Amino acid sequence: MSANFGLIWIVIGLPVAGFLIQALVGKHIVGDGSGKRLAGFLAVAPIALAFGIAAYLTVALTEFAPGAREVVSPGWDWINIAGLNVPFELRVDPLTMLMTLIITGVGALIHLYATGYMGEEKEYTRFFTYLNLFIAAMLILVLGNNLVMLFIGWEGVGLCSYLLIGFWYKDLANAKAANKAFIVNRIGDWGLTLGIFLLFVVVAANHQQFNAEDGRFLSYDVLLPTLGKVLAGMPAVTTAIALLLFVGACGKSAQFPLYLWLPDAMAGPTPVSALIHAATMVTAGVFLLNRLYVVFELSPIASAIIACTGAFTALFAALVAFGQTDIKKVLAYSTVSQLGFMFIACGAGAYWVGMFHVTTHAFFKALLFLGSGAVIHAMAHNQDMRNYGNLRKYLPITFITMMVGYLAIAGIPPLAGFWSKEGILGYALANNHAMAANVNFSYIVGWVGLGVALLTAFYMTRMTWLTFFGPERWKQIPAHATAHGEHEDHAEHAHQGHHHEDHGPDKHGFFFSDEEMAAMPHEHEHHHDLDESHKPKEVSFSMWFPLAVLAILSFGGGWVLHNGNLLEHWLYPPGTMALNLEAHPHGIPLMALSLVAAVGGILAGLFVYWKGLPAKEGWDESKWNPFRRAAKEQFGYDAAMVSASVDGGRDVGLAFWRGADTAVVDGAVNGVAAGAGWLGASLGKFQNGFIRQYALIMLLGIVGLLGMIGLSFGRLANGVPTPPTVSLPPQTMEGQR
Amino acid sequence: MAGVPLVAYLALGLFLFSVGVVGVIIRRNPIVIFMCIELMLNAVNLTFLAFAKYMPSKLPTGTTPVAEASMSGQVMVIFVMAVAAAEVAVGLGIIMAIFRLRKEIDIDEMNLLRG
Amino acid sequence: MNTSELLTPNMGVFALLGGIAAFGAVGVVAFNNATRSALCLVLTFFTLAFLYFTLTAEMIGILQIVVYTGAIMVLFLFVIMLLNLGALKSLFEDRDPKMLIGGVLGLGMAALLGSQVLAPMAKVTQMRAPEGIGSPQSVGYSLFSTYLYPFEIASVLLLLGIVGSILLAKRRI
Repeated sequence: MSANFGLIWIVIGLPVAGFLIQALVGKHIVGDGSGKRLAGFLAVAPIALAFGIAAYLTVALTEFAPGAREVVSPGWDWINIAGLNVPFELRVDPLTMLMTLIITGVGALIHLYATGYMGEEKEYTRFFTYLNLFIAAMLILVLGNNLVMLFIGWEGVGLCSYLLIGFWYKDLANAKAANKAFIVNRIGDWGLTLGIFLLFVVVAANHQQFNAEDGRFLSYDVLLPTLGKVLAGMPAVTTAIALLLFVGACGKSAQFPLYLWLPDAMAGPTPVSALIHAATMVTAGVFLLNRLYVVFELSPIASAIIACTGAFTALFAALVAFGQTDIKKVLAYSTVSQLGFMFIACGAGAYWVGMFHVTTHAFFKALLFLGSGAVIHAMAHNQDMRNYGNLRKYLPITFITMMVGYLAIAGIPPLAGFWSKEGILGYALANNHAMAANVNFSYIVGWVGLGVALLTAFYMTRMTWLTFFGPERWKQIPAHATAHGEHEDHAEHAHQGHHHEDHGPDKHGFFFSDEEMAAMPHEHEHHHDLDESHKPKEVSFSMWFPLAVLAILSFGGGWVLHNGNLLEHWLYPPGTMALNLEAHPHGIPLMALSLVAAVGGILAGLFVYWKGLPAKEGWDESKWNPFRRAAKEQFGYDAAMVSASVDGGRDVGLAFWRGADTAVVDGAVNGVAAGAGWLGASLGKFQNGFIRQYALIMLLGIVGLLGMIGLSFGRLANGVPTPPTVSLPPQTMEGQR
Repeated sequence: MAGVPLVAYLALGLFLFSVGVVGVIIRRNPIVIFMCIELMLNAVNLTFLAFAKYMPSKLPTGTTPVAEASMSGQVMVIFVMAVAAAEVAVGLGIIMAIFRLRKEIDIDEMNLLRG
Repeated sequence: MNTSELLTPNMGVFALLGGIAAFGAVGVVAFNNATRSALCLVLTFFTLAFLYFTLTAEMIGILQIVVYTGAIMVLFLFVIMLLNLGALKSLFEDRDPKMLIGGVLGLGMAALLGSQVLAPMAKVTQMRAPEGIGSPQSVGYSLFSTYLYPFEIASVLLLLGIVGSILLAKRRI
């Protein structure tokens, strides 16, 4: 034990320090713009340093024997009541270090990229403040040693996602997209919270079985060794916990039906999309499943549901990607689809493969997003692929790196994506952990995954070919394409298909009207319109260097991790998992099939898009075939969800307001007042000034009183009472007259 | 008088009182109403005196001679008379004032104290 | 108590006086004419004075004649004549239900009181007050010793009555 694992606190402390520096003095450093390089450096450096320390700690961790690689670094007491102790403490183990390396490594690269990408922003430091805060929150999520710290990080990244998606908040559509992300995430958080509560109930009911004298029942080092034994006898509860946790994972990792915030999240700047919505935050769900794998191991039904959801999401997103014309949207749906793959792996029981795909996906998806950012930057912030074409001539570095990423995601060996995808499909087809009602869903899902792999290659080919090959379409933009309806600026592409959101007359002036929005100055970089004379320029060093690094990682990373089961044994040394899984199916030539799928998809894409944009996908969307049009609108799902929740919620609120609040509550209050008035008025009729009536009522009262006294004392009923005794002197005198 | 039971006086007093009550409600002339009130007062006087004569009760101290106890009834009657006299004077003055104002005295018309 | 024991001469006197008083009372209520009502009331008061005499309350009886019939009723008659009231309104002109209800209620009240008060007193026949109890000496003695304070306060009350009635009678305050 030569390393000081207390350094792990520095790993979290560095992004926090970066956040504080940017928040407090960032503006002063930037000054009038000359200090931007320094401010950018101060934003990137903490993350890069954290990466260095994390790498050091990871190496230090290998000194332990496999299976004993677990170091808990205690912090300070937080919640300590009634036998439950939830301190702030950090954990160093293979899973957390893997995630930390991804977060800090890819994070540092993206920070570097962002210093170039956001170079002309006015709100430069605010961006890096949020970005550093995000890294800090994500690190708390992965490094925390108990479920409560995970939840803190979970909420923290949700918050930062909101802040960053709505970075250009003056545009109402961006703000709405940020709201959507946060709110949909909240639904997932509900599931996660309930799952944690249920888990705690189980733990508390069986707390004697856990080795925890200090009461840290929610900490992993206490939970994980014994949780499997405790839950083994309660399949129903285990399934419930597993499903609730999965709901949380769905929210964060954008699975159907909670995926719909991710495409809208493309309203944020591209580095945000790369970091949060490709590499890190969306993988929090997979991390959760890996962290609490003992729960999922014990519930085949939940695993079946997870696998099916993942497969369905993968298929759905892949189909929707075909209808997108915005390059970032294609990548967003591709992310959703790949996340579905990760859940297929987790559903099949091969949790480490899920993490493998997380890693490789972080590489190539971040690469693709950053590359697309470079393309967008070069094309004057125009994101519509129909305006691109033949960009390989103008953006050589971007082109090469993006090709690497594209081949990686398509699954061509020996690039990274091939190995992880093959692992997923292999475990899915070979095992039967995801069983429900005696149907081996794992097997079914494996074949679906194979199909989606083909589709993935297909639509990625579409994207790549439309962008980098073919004629230079921006020189031939039809007149109406630059009009307000089609011109993709940051507001529009987030607004795609959501025009119905501008519902109803806005009586209270909560929302900016269209005129006001148009009149507001856009905070982001001013761009000139794309016209025929535009010449795309390659991007600066700070932007292509991360691309290059990520390309190298996408190229070789997968093979390195796969070789010799390196990652598998790193995360789950032999003997830790209860399931006995086969890596490769018998009798199915998986490698050949996945190669066929990848190459087949590429060939299909080439066949359609070799010459650029086919006529049926042109500017006039009404000429598209129905499938493509439906795909563009997410097959109506998003519209249905928005109308159900927004309009439905508003209707519910109105109904409650009118029906319950106005009618019942106000009615009761006003009714009481009115009733009092009515009562007073009716009783007032007695006071009519007629004295005889008053006298009559007095008499009535007297008679009534006498009667009551008589009745109550029983004097009326009992006949004649005895006369009172009168003690008097004897009758000596009689008043005689 | 000897031989006349107490209840005779009491019954007479009750009768006078009831007639007075009914008269207050029935009659519309305020002066007649007043007279009925006087009738009631007199019925009460009769009752007081009857009890003072037939059943002079002991005062609570227990040392009062019977004579004093009987006297209390009569003194009460005297005060009732005094009060009745004052009341009649004032009451008729009120009625006169109202009559001066409204030139009629039907008690049902005087309902300005309505609420 | 048998009926035969009741028919004593004293009882007959009482019955006569009581009957006249009762008729007078009914007459107060029954007559439309206010003057006739007043005169009936005079009759009643007068008879009541005699009844007080039978109760050996001579002082009170004299006071009844002097004060009640002599002053109060005279005042009533003055006012009636001053206001020149004739048979202004007939008793039975508007038969409103108040009258019926009033009658019923009055009857009820009489019944209640009677059943409760008269019944226990049925056996009391002996006058127990000592001799000479109603004489002016006794009343005066009592008024100026035991009941001095109430007596003086009653005089203040009468003063109030005087002042009040004068004020009310003035045309301009």
